[in-house]
Parts: sequence; C-alpha cells; structure tokens
Amino acid sequence: MEKNVVETIKINKENCTGCRICQMICSLTHFNKISLKDALIQIDNPYDLTFEIKFLENCLKCYLCVDYCLYNALERIEEEG
Amino acid sequence: MELHGYTGKILEIDLKDERISVKQEKEEDLRKFIGGFGMNCKLAAEYLKPRIDPFSPENVIILGTGPLVGTIMPGSSRLVGITKFPATGAIANSCGSMSFGFHLKQSGYDHVVIKEISDKPIYIYINNDDVRILDASNLWGKDIAVTTDYMWKHYGSCSIIAIGRAGENKINGALALIDKTSTFGRGGLAAVMGHKKVKCIVVKGNKGIKIAQQAKFLKKYKSFIERVKNYPHRPSWIELGMLRSLPVGMILSAKGEKKKARQCNEKSYLKKMKKRRIACPSCPMADKDILEIKEGDFAGLICYASSVINPFLMFTIDGLSTYNEAIKIFDEINRNGLDGLTITSLFDFIGRMHSKGLITDSDLGFEWKNDFETLKSLLKIILNKEGFGKVLAKGWNAIVALKEEFADEIPAIKGLDVVFDPRLIRLGTMEFEQVVNPKGAHVASGGSPTYVGAGGTPDKMRRHFDRMGIPKDAQERIFKPPREAMGINVGRLTRYAEDWYAVLTSLGLCARAQMNRFYSLNSVTEFYSLITGFDLTAEELRKAAERSWNLLRLLNYKEGFKRENDSFPNVWFKTLKYGPNELKIYDYYGTTLITPDIAKQLIDDYYDERGWDIKSGTPKKEKLISLELKEYI
Repeated sequence: MEKNVVETIKINKENCTGCRICQMICSLTHFNKISLKDALIQIDNPYDLTFEIKFLENCLKCYLCVDYCLYNALERIEEEG
Repeated sequence: MELHGYTGKILEIDLKDERISVKQEKEEDLRKFIGGFGMNCKLAAEYLKPRIDPFSPENVIILGTGPLVGTIMPGSSRLVGITKFPATGAIANSCGSMSFGFHLKQSGYDHVVIKEISDKPIYIYINNDDVRILDASNLWGKDIAVTTDYMWKHYGSCSIIAIGRAGENKINGALALIDKTSTFGRGGLAAVMGHKKVKCIVVKGNKGIKIAQQAKFLKKYKSFIERVKNYPHRPSWIELGMLRSLPVGMILSAKGEKKKARQCNEKSYLKKMKKRRIACPSCPMADKDILEIKEGDFAGLICYASSVINPFLMFTIDGLSTYNEAIKIFDEINRNGLDGLTITSLFDFIGRMHSKGLITDSDLGFEWKNDFETLKSLLKIILNKEGFGKVLAKGWNAIVALKEEFADEIPAIKGLDVVFDPRLIRLGTMEFEQVVNPKGAHVASGGSPTYVGAGGTPDKMRRHFDRMGIPKDAQERIFKPPREAMGINVGRLTRYAEDWYAVLTSLGLCARAQMNRFYSLNSVTEFYSLITGFDLTAEELRKAAERSWNLLRLLNYKEGFKRENDSFPNVWFKTLKYGPNELKIYDYYGTTLITPDIAKQLIDDYYDERGWDIKSGTPKKEKLISLELKEYI
C-alpha cells in the first residue's frame, strides 16, 4: 500500500534567534500590517532560555515563515501521514 | 492624515506631577529631521535649557525611534537616547537595540520624553494607550538581570530598559541595559534615570505598523534579503558574532600572550562559552551572545552580552588570567550597570599609576595586586562610592583634576575613555571621530572604510564612499591628506562618516558594519519612501542628517564646548608599550607618524569640510541658515 506523504514544518528551536521575521512576514502578508499579535506563528520569551515557538490552529500553511527564516529555525519537511 | 512607518506621536511623562500626555509631531518636522536621532536632536533643543545640571529636574531623557523601526526592514531596531550626560556635561546621543524600539513603535509612539524627578522609586509601564507610573520600591537595589527577569515573568514578552546599582547611586558613567543585553547610555544615561528614580521602563506594543506601498516594498525586501542570505561570509558571522569582526585573540598574540590568546580563539568560544545567539527584531545578522561558562571556575554562569568581545576586551588587560574571570567580572559589571570599557580603562590606568607610585594602596583603601580580586575590590569602592571610589565614580574629568601628572596619562576625551586607541590600530575615522564627537570618546559614529580590516585600495574606498553618498567633489578632497603618503584625510572623511551614521540612526537602522554594508544612501532612501510614503530624495535625506548633526553641535556650543575640547589626548603622542611592541600613532596606511601639527591640521580639515569656523569649531551662521536652523542660533 502506498504511504501518504505530507509536507509539514519542523521547529529547530535551538537555532531561533528571536528575530521575529517569521511573525512579521506572516502578519504583513495576511493582515497587511506588521503585528506580532496577529501573526499565526507565536514566539514567547524570545530572549529567554525557555522560549517557545508555536503555530496557531488557523495557520494557513503558506510556508512564508519557513522561506523567510534566516536561521534555519523552521524547516520544511515531509512526513508520512 | 494617516501615517505609515511613523506614528506621529510623542509620549511626554512628567514624573513630578505623574502627568502623562501625548503630543503630535508636525509632518514638516518629520521631513526635516526624519526621526530617531534627528528628531531627538530637535526635541533636545526644545526641552533642554543650556547649562543645566545633568542631575537637576530640568534634565530630560528623550527616547526615539526612526520611521523604519517596528517594521520588518533588516536591522531596524535602533533606539536613540538623548540627555545631558553627567560624565561629560555634553548633550549627546546614545543608541541601544534589542526590542525596546520595536515595542515602543508598536505601542504607537515615535518618541518618549521623561521630565522632572519622582520622589520615590518607580517604573514606567507602556502598553499601547495604557501608560502608567508604578511603584518600584521592591526593585530598587536589585541588579539589572533580576529586574528584567521579574518584568518578563510579570508581563510576558515585552522589552525593558533597566538600571542597576551604578545608576541608582548616580555613578557618572553608569549605563542601562535593554533586555539585559544591549548597552544603552554610555556616559551616564542610567545615572540620570537613577536621579529621576526610574528603575526601569517596560514597553509592550501590538498596535501594528502599516507600510505605505506594501506590494512594492515586499518585492524590494525579498531581493534585499536574498542578497543578505547569499553573502558568503554570513554563516561565519552568525556562528562567531562580533568575534568574526574583532578577533581578540590576535590582539593578545600581538601582545605576546599566547596562552591567553588561545583561551579566546574561535574554537574556545564555540566549545567553552557560546550558549545561544540572539538577534534584535528584524535582524538577519544576529550578533548578541548568551554565554555560559561550561567548565572551571564559575561553571554554570549564564551571561547576556551585547557581544562576546566585550568580556574578551577586558581580558586583554593585565591582571585577569582566565576567560572565566573575564566573563564573571563582565557579568558583575553588567548586572550593576557599570560600563565595561570604562572599568577596563580604569583598571589599566590605576595599575600604571600604582606602579609609578602616583596612586597608592592607602589612597585606594586596599592592596593593589593587579589581579581578579583587585578588580573586584575596585568595583566595590566605585559602586559604593567608598573613599577613593567617590572620585572614580565621578569619572575621568574628576580624576585628571587630582594630580598634574595625570594629564599626560589619562586615556579619555571630554571625560569618556577612549574605545579605540589609534596606536593599536592606526588612525581611521573611528579613532579620529572620538576627538570631535560632542559626546567624547565613542566610536559608533565613525564607521567608514577605514574600519579595522575593512580598508584597501583607493578604488575600494571610492565604491564605499559612493555607497555612503559622499559627493564626488568631497571624495577628491578626502584623497588630499596633510601629507601625501597618508593617502586618506580622515578629518574630511569623518564628516561624511558622521552624516552616514546620522542617516542610519535617524531612520532607525543598525550602524554595525556587518549590517550597514548592505545599505547605500540610495537604497535606504527608496525603502524610506516605500515605507512612509514620503517622497524624499537621497540628497534631502543626507541633508537632514547633516542638519541634525549641526544642531547637536550648536547645542553643545551653548553648553560651553569649544575647539580646545576637540583635542587628541596627550597620551596618544606617547609610545605605548604593548608586550614586546612599542607602538606609536600612525595614519591609516601606516606610512606617517601623526605629530601634534598633523593632528591639528586634521581637525582644521574636519571643521572646514563641515563648514564650521576653524578657530572656534562652531557651525558658521551661513551654514546654519543654509540648513534651515536659523531659529536655533
């Protein structure tokens, strides 16, 4: 039986610098303004050692955040569905 | 009118009456002074009366962001602070980064003006339209890291400018830290905060920023980011941070200290102390460091640093024998809000004076052994203003007044210690700019192709000059130095280095070489127009920067600063014994020994290039009129 392969985003937390470009490109593209609150990806406490990166449920899976991440903190991967 | 990039608002906070008000900026002023540094200079002219005491209710703290801050524009997280600085008595600017500027703009303000004095410790909380002055009694006496962590825990993701004990105790050189990482206010901005009883300023903004021409901007942004991404040296920048720019190990090797050099080479940094790289919002060239001492003494210590070279530069002085000691002492300095560069200079100076018998153990109140424990004792007497520490806390202007012999030994200009000594790295604009900057010794405004390791052939220089927007006729003058062999006239070039710095700092862009190398006057003008919708030419932008710099100079003329304050320190004309080397001050290409006569000529040329009076060093009336600054004369 053929396996179903889906594209998804892998988070490499250790590479994140807290630059927030992912949040800015997301909110600018989808909501026409640069706004961390509106972004569909959220980063809590970016300068702490216990920061968190998470995608909101209504994320559009447009992968812009991955394409614009300059530090390889977000990576496009294929997973078996 | 709907603004883009700008918010058009100034938040004014009066600590005495606890009154908070919002003022509207005029579009005409935004075009004339751009924002950030430029608008801050204009506000300083409005709010600061000449010759006030830095520690008086009349002194104000002005914080400013440029029109590109709060956007996705690469490296657009610059915060500019202006006050009357206690260490020098100058009205000057200081910059910081991390996310304060970003959040301030997102809160809906381009600038904040903090007036008067509170009668009890407070902190200022800015969350969009919700601005409050809150009690900080429980935080007074706490260090910067504890204060910042407390606020992060309490308010979640936000940005904090905090002061430590040095600011609270009004030590003249005290600085603040933004997000416990970025230094802010070298020369005593934190002492002014301490005098006003402001422990910290917390900002959390999420109003959102709109771009005037979004589609065109995104297209240009995409190609810009691709260029940055493909920069061949970028991976090593990200890996090594500022160590890539200033390999401190090489300085130590030149000094003959190979064992110490090995401790701060790339391998040692990566393996033994690098914990995490962090970036300011929008930055593609992250260089801030979270360090962790992984073995030996103080193992487990986590230290936030503007860059790893800050503790490493402390390591270049005699007295510290391990990098662990350097990071530990740097962490203490940071937490307390002292200036690492100043402490390094003081430690070196006192060591030299002690060996000559000009400063004794009895003066100091402890035995000077020139080691880690000695440095700790030095910090203690400064922070507590104990005995000799009272004078040290006042800074170099007070120290030089103690003994006649100190005049030839003090490594300071206008009361601030030299950051880059030209005897070590020759006389480029960063070294020269320390002499003519109204603030005193300070290197941020002197970036040019004479930056250490960046220079090269005249053709390479010309390409860099074009990028900075230096007019062709001025370029010809720059290639005419006082002695032909010098190749470059750093006096004339410094004027344009300052103007380029003022362009970037008014827009809110990072001036660090690894970021600003991607910008040109033309490209930032285009980005500015796309973001704000204001149609300014590159020449108008450059002129606005020149206008702001002239206004700052004029304000300091009114403070009593004159040509004689723009002097090379005597110590630069003496031989520097550096390990086995005997170093003297040479021009950028290392061909010509800089004599006091050549130094004077370079200062004359700087004034001439600025259109200032050579005798007094002040802007000429016709220059001020041509820059539309008549009302400030």
